[in-house]
Amino acid sequence: MALEKLIPLLMDGIKDTLYMTTISTLFAYLLGMPLALALVLTSPKGLKPMPLLYRVMDFVVNIFRSIPFLILMILVIPVTRFIAGKSYGSTATIVPLVIAAAPYVARMIESSLLEVDPGVIEAAQSMGASIPQIVFKVLIPEAKTSLIVGATISSGTILGYSAMSGAIGGGGLGQIAISYGYNRYQTDVLVATVVLLVILMQIIQIVGMFISRKTDKRVRE
Amino acid sequence: MALIELKHLTKTFKGKTQTVDALRDINLDINQGDIYGIIGMSGAGKSTLVRCINFLEKPTSGSVVIDGKDLSTLTPAELRKLRQEVSMIFQHFNLLQQRDVRGNIAFAMEIAGMKRDAINKRIDELLEIVGLTDRQHNYPSQLSGGQQQRVAIARALATNPKIILCDEATSALDPTTTTSILNLLREINKKMGITIVIITHEMSVVESTCSHVAIIDNGTLVETGRVEDVFSHPKSSAARKLIFRKTGADAPPLGKRMIRIVFEGNASSEPILADLVMECRVAVNIMHAETRDVGGKAFGHMILQLPEERVQQEKVIYYLQSRSIHVEEV
Repeated sequence: MALEKLIPLLMDGIKDTLYMTTISTLFAYLLGMPLALALVLTSPKGLKPMPLLYRVMDFVVNIFRSIPFLILMILVIPVTRFIAGKSYGSTATIVPLVIAAAPYVARMIESSLLEVDPGVIEAAQSMGASIPQIVFKVLIPEAKTSLIVGATISSGTILGYSAMSGAIGGGGLGQIAISYGYNRYQTDVLVATVVLLVILMQIIQIVGMFISRKTDKRVRE
Repeated sequence: MALIELKHLTKTFKGKTQTVDALRDINLDINQGDIYGIIGMSGAGKSTLVRCINFLEKPTSGSVVIDGKDLSTLTPAELRKLRQEVSMIFQHFNLLQQRDVRGNIAFAMEIAGMKRDAINKRIDELLEIVGLTDRQHNYPSQLSGGQQQRVAIARALATNPKIILCDEATSALDPTTTTSILNLLREINKKMGITIVIITHEMSVVESTCSHVAIIDNGTLVETGRVEDVFSHPKSSAARKLIFRKTGADAPPLGKRMIRIVFEGNASSEPILADLVMECRVAVNIMHAETRDVGGKAFGHMILQLPEERVQQEKVIYYLQSRSIHVEEV
């Protein structure tokens, strides 16, 4: 493909991919964070044990985690139509991306929060801290570094999902790779999208790890 | 009325296959101004006991009364309020790793809902007390164990508590640092009148620091009282095991008659044994001897192997008793 046509095409692709990835990551965290906190707090060893609720949430999260993304996307098409008005295009793809990513993100956050030293939580309790105080002054700040690493991994995974969504009508680089590279045998376009996806993933990873290291106070200067 | 009253306290942990009686019928009064040591071997129930005092562990039965308030009758909010008067320090310090020294001290006061200005002012005072003013912007990972425990002590003092509970607070520290932390605790007790409860497995901590001691063994308090009384005349075998840990006094070799003599106060400055040998003209064998400084007075105990002859044995015992020395057979 001629360069003057390829470049605007790829630029649009990058824009759409970043749009899907960032918005989906954002919404996945908005849903995943409360879900993760609920899992941590209601677990049998949590601050507010509620075994039945915990088991239900645990089960539901596992179900969503076990459905492959491509199949989940097809399964939730009615939901996507209901929310976005159509089932194809970048904006509509955000719906299945969030549905797939939120339970994944919840698990990532849950594991970060569980890493917080129980002794520090006990110390906070001994000072008379309430559960909201423990969540916002101990759990989240102490898990900060691990949460940032988790966010880095999660947004990388969501980037991958967004590219996969190109197979059934999602937008962005994935869609370009499939419609030009696979359906029209334009290998140059296929290679270009792959290179761009690799670069995007590298940027996410490097920036994420840099931020997590910079903000971690446990490391001696 | 005692500041802390534990009445018929029991705690049972129910597992899937077995239940463990961590505490059985604990009764203990701790008065305002005491430094009360609770000592026991590991697994004796010390940590559970101290966590019952601030209700981090809810007792299975019995009551905890602090300053006249029965903890089991308090609402969760009232209990949180009360915990600001009962601070706690821990073996592993339990500081927030992502906050600096000032931030860690501020934490306790943020929870108590104090204003920013008041918090900052109080932090300066506390840094002065624990001697960490020059380290105030360091993070815990940049501090030694002793310094971290000082931060924890400052944090514990922040809300002007009546009581400080210490859960093996010096067990992770080297001997020199242990001494300095214990000195700081004693000073806090003396100057501020704060009652201190010290959980430990180390005799030396109780000897150097505590006014009272309770010995816990297998979930039961076997002995309580003033440190010098309990340590000079331990009655229970658990207490003896702790106090005379290395003597092997509970298993004397067969066929030889041995006695333990305990002397205290001014008696330890007199050459009792030399007098004994000269006046009774008998030879005794010193199997073990140990003197300790308890509460400013000298205490000692020795295990003597007596001569074969019965008459001479009685002579020795009679002589020692006439010098008002406590004698017991081992």
